[in-house]
Amino acid sequence: MKLEIKNINKYFINDKKTHEVLSDVSFTVQGGEFVTILGPSGCGKTTLLTIVAGFQHANNGEILLNGNAVKKPGPDRGFVFQNYALFPWMTVRKNILYPMKQQKLPKTEAEERLKYLLEVAQLDGKEELYPNQLSGGMKQRTAVIRALASKPEVLLMDEPLGAVDFQMRQILQEELEALWMKDKTTVMMVTHDVDEAVYLSDRVIVLSANGGIILEDMKIDLERPRQRDSEKYNIYKEKLTKILKLALKKTS
Amino acid sequence: MQSPESKVCVYNSTNKLNTGLIKNRVIENLYKLLMYGVIFILWFALAKHYNNSLLLPTPAKTISALGSCLVSAEVMANLLLTIKRVLLGFLIAFVIGVPLGFLMGYFKTAEKLLGGFINSIRQVPIMAWVPLTIVWFGIGDGPTLFLIAFSGVFPIILNTVEGVKNISKDYYNAAKSMGASRWSIFIDIIVPSTIPNILTGSRIAVSSGWMSVICAEFIATSAGLGFSMVEAQTRMETEVLIALMILSAIVGYCIDRVIQFANKSLTKWRFVQ
Repeated sequence: MKLEIKNINKYFINDKKTHEVLSDVSFTVQGGEFVTILGPSGCGKTTLLTIVAGFQHANNGEILLNGNAVKKPGPDRGFVFQNYALFPWMTVRKNILYPMKQQKLPKTEAEERLKYLLEVAQLDGKEELYPNQLSGGMKQRTAVIRALASKPEVLLMDEPLGAVDFQMRQILQEELEALWMKDKTTVMMVTHDVDEAVYLSDRVIVLSANGGIILEDMKIDLERPRQRDSEKYNIYKEKLTKILKLALKKTS
Repeated sequence: MQSPESKVCVYNSTNKLNTGLIKNRVIENLYKLLMYGVIFILWFALAKHYNNSLLLPTPAKTISALGSCLVSAEVMANLLLTIKRVLLGFLIAFVIGVPLGFLMGYFKTAEKLLGGFINSIRQVPIMAWVPLTIVWFGIGDGPTLFLIAFSGVFPIILNTVEGVKNISKDYYNAAKSMGASRWSIFIDIIVPSTIPNILTGSRIAVSSGWMSVICAEFIATSAGLGFSMVEAQTRMETEVLIALMILSAIVGYCIDRVIQFANKSLTKWRFVQ
């Protein structure tokens, strides 16, 4: 697996003024990597993620997944939405089976994979519940395993914990890490939270608020599961916080 | 498929909800009963005061007329005919309205093309169509069916359009990123998320159909509940006339409840806790 983001440019035109959100963004994600795009709000990080997903197009540049240009959304790139976007009219079971049905996976195989995914996400016994009946954490895990169901090459996550309060967030980060360590799918995640970036990622890429330029591409060399109170962990956090402040200053 | 644990959890929450609901329902029904009591006493007093059963028969007389209506084969045949007309007219409205609603909700061009026309034609008061429909279809089922379908089709179209437009873009993107075909997006995303709106439109359509059918039957038919009412009026049986009015209210209420029931069972996911 290799995801190449090549010279991506994206601008919007507002009141006849061109507003550049991404300028010449390039990097490569290797197989099995957990990469986080960190940046202040409005820095175009979600735009970049949706371009990789194929929900919108770049004005310039291209996205290559295993050498093939990305043109539109597809099951090789699983997407976890900020608000989860679980289908409320389907039970947990049907939500997770849905992508497999679209892949025309044989029934027995789909049932097996469903069972495996429910186990990984500790959702066994919840399969007949509707999304409305789930807690925030269960919704998030359902959204993640639904995106994993079609065995995507890369999992794209748009602030998957954005809608959750602080304490719950830490618990869910741990759950997410545990889930990821079992599955080891390549992940590209977007967040504005430094702690979340350090806790989850192998590599953090910082985008500037103005014009979406890469300010930093940092490897997080820490053992998993990560310890939030370790010295190294906090050094990474401080470094990234400084860079993020710089990123914010560039706007004003 | 469900573990015992999660079952218990679901039952517990609904139980707690149920006791609260029952308590509310009892109080609500008490108020209703009180109101009906006041109306009946007032009715009785007025009837006694005017002492003219052509103007206002007593409640007792009306209720006994209602009883004899319920066992009269003729009235029942007329009632069934009217119900049949409403259901058939509604079906026509549904079959035309839902696809049009989907088209107009999903394709901007379709909405631009049809929206203006629909908005202007629905401003014509429904009863203003009666003379023209008699010219077109003659006396009988034709005009009534046309009026029911015509009055019902707009709420169905407008609600369906709104439902389709309100679907979150994330659902489309989610489905696409899971490799969904266009057909699957329609059948698995658009249809289920629009069902609540379609049912709301249907509810309005049936009740407006039920209202316009009686009126249409006064003029444009020689059978049906509306026709029975005109007959009762001609025969100067005011108690029968009022009994038939009460009967039509009861039937309308029952139809509404059936749709509400359909709503709850078709969109279970909205009502689970």
